[in-house]
Amino acid sequence: MSDDIPILRLGPNLMVTLQGNLEDTTVEHIERAVTHEVARTRATGLLIDVSGLSIVDSFVARVIARLVAMVRLLGARSTIVGIQPAVAITLVELGVPMSHVRTALNAEQGMALLREPTGR
Amino acid sequence: MGYAGAVVSDELSYYQQMIDNITEYEVIRLDDNGIVQSWHAGAERLTQYTAEEIIGRPVSVFYPPEEAASGRVEQDLRIARDTGRCESEGWRVRKDGSQFWASTLLTPIHVHGTVVGYVKVSRDLTERREQQLAALGAEQMLEAITDYEVIRLDRDGYVRSWSPGASRLKQYTEEEVLGHHVSMFYAEEDVRDGLAERELATAAREGRFETEGWRVRKDGSRFWANVTLSPIRDSTGELLGYVKVARDLSERREQEQLVQRQRDEILELSTPVIQVWDKILVLPVIGTLDSLRAARLTDGLLERIARDQAEVVILDISGVPAIDTDVAQHLLKTVEAARLMGTASVLSGVRPETAQAIVHLGIELGTLRSRNSLRDALQLALQIVGGTAAEREPVDV
Repeated sequence: MSDDIPILRLGPNLMVTLQGNLEDTTVEHIERAVTHEVARTRATGLLIDVSGLSIVDSFVARVIARLVAMVRLLGARSTIVGIQPAVAITLVELGVPMSHVRTALNAEQGMALLREPTGR
Repeated sequence: MGYAGAVVSDELSYYQQMIDNITEYEVIRLDDNGIVQSWHAGAERLTQYTAEEIIGRPVSVFYPPEEAASGRVEQDLRIARDTGRCESEGWRVRKDGSQFWASTLLTPIHVHGTVVGYVKVSRDLTERREQQLAALGAEQMLEAITDYEVIRLDRDGYVRSWSPGASRLKQYTEEEVLGHHVSMFYAEEDVRDGLAERELATAAREGRFETEGWRVRKDGSRFWANVTLSPIRDSTGELLGYVKVARDLSERREQEQLVQRQRDEILELSTPVIQVWDKILVLPVIGTLDSLRAARLTDGLLERIARDQAEVVILDISGVPAIDTDVAQHLLKTVEAARLMGTASVLSGVRPETAQAIVHLGIELGTLRSRNSLRDALQLALQIVGGTAAEREPVDV
């Protein structure tokens, strides 16, 4: 993954796409870029697209959970989209705690989820 | 012994003494009908009979019964009489019934031009014969093996011996392969890949290498081979070459694949996913779920969810006779995996016994929603799809 983390702005929400192999350095880049962008744009929601990740293991799952927690501290909500069947099975088999993470089938559904009133 | 004078008798007794000292050979005299006339220590050592037991009995007692009955003894005596000698090798019988491999020489005794008897000289060659057999054994064994290819390769992988089994397997004759590299039996892509060299190196390093893979016959056809390579080393441990044993497993492989295909088809048929409404899938689970079927069910369902972008899936378990811990856990894992993909699940068709069992088993239900009938489940599903996205999130059952 290049140093430029693509972050799209969709109204009051942001969308970040995770791709390829996540390594420690790229993860730091992503965390820095996403937190700064959320703070700068005062976004209320973040869509994390993981459909481009080649491997999702417990490390990647922790990365995603951390990102969700950081964004929540900045006052925004997150939704994960594009979890592939094999990835879903792996996460469940690994027993990675993902119950607090909201998921959607695709970006459209994810945006709909983010648009709903807060308070849940 | 009364046919000669006293001087001859003396000489004969010297001969007898000499013969008595021969212990490695049996040297005896027979009369013209093959009846044993003399005996000595060497003969006793060989056949275990004492002089009292054997003198006066026919020489045929030393032959195996079936050979004696076939007239073999008379035939040998006739040959000796007519030609001056009869040399033969064959199995002979000791007093205790055990057999030994003997070389026998029969020569006639002439008195005034008439055959009055025979001298029989025999020697036990059992040991030599066994050594011969042992030496022949390896070669003969190799020749006899036709279901396997057993060949020698030199240390660089060049073919140094061929066998009937190898001919049968690969269609090449000995002349066509000797001195050629073993890679001539490999598939083109494996040759490019240097597979033969790698396999030989592994065998040399690890003391043995076994593999299965495609090999090529002379006519270019392929067969699925099981191959074992064993390095041969001299006394100093230096590599001399390899013994290669190969076998055609094509038939077994085809059968295995057929069984696998049929199993896949049955699994495919047994876990159908039905789209009942826009964005709503139903998975009717019927019959007993073993781990293989359960895994297949999950894979199939999640793939369908991704393909159809289904928002709700109904798992109907009214056709499952019994729910044990494994099955229940697996269903819940499937529900969780579907949720991670962004799809809500509704369980339907839970029978009273099943409900009791699931709770008694202490299985954590998590956020699972359940309805009594497929009709109610479908109603809930339509509500979720038609309603706001929030309804997709777990609500109280």
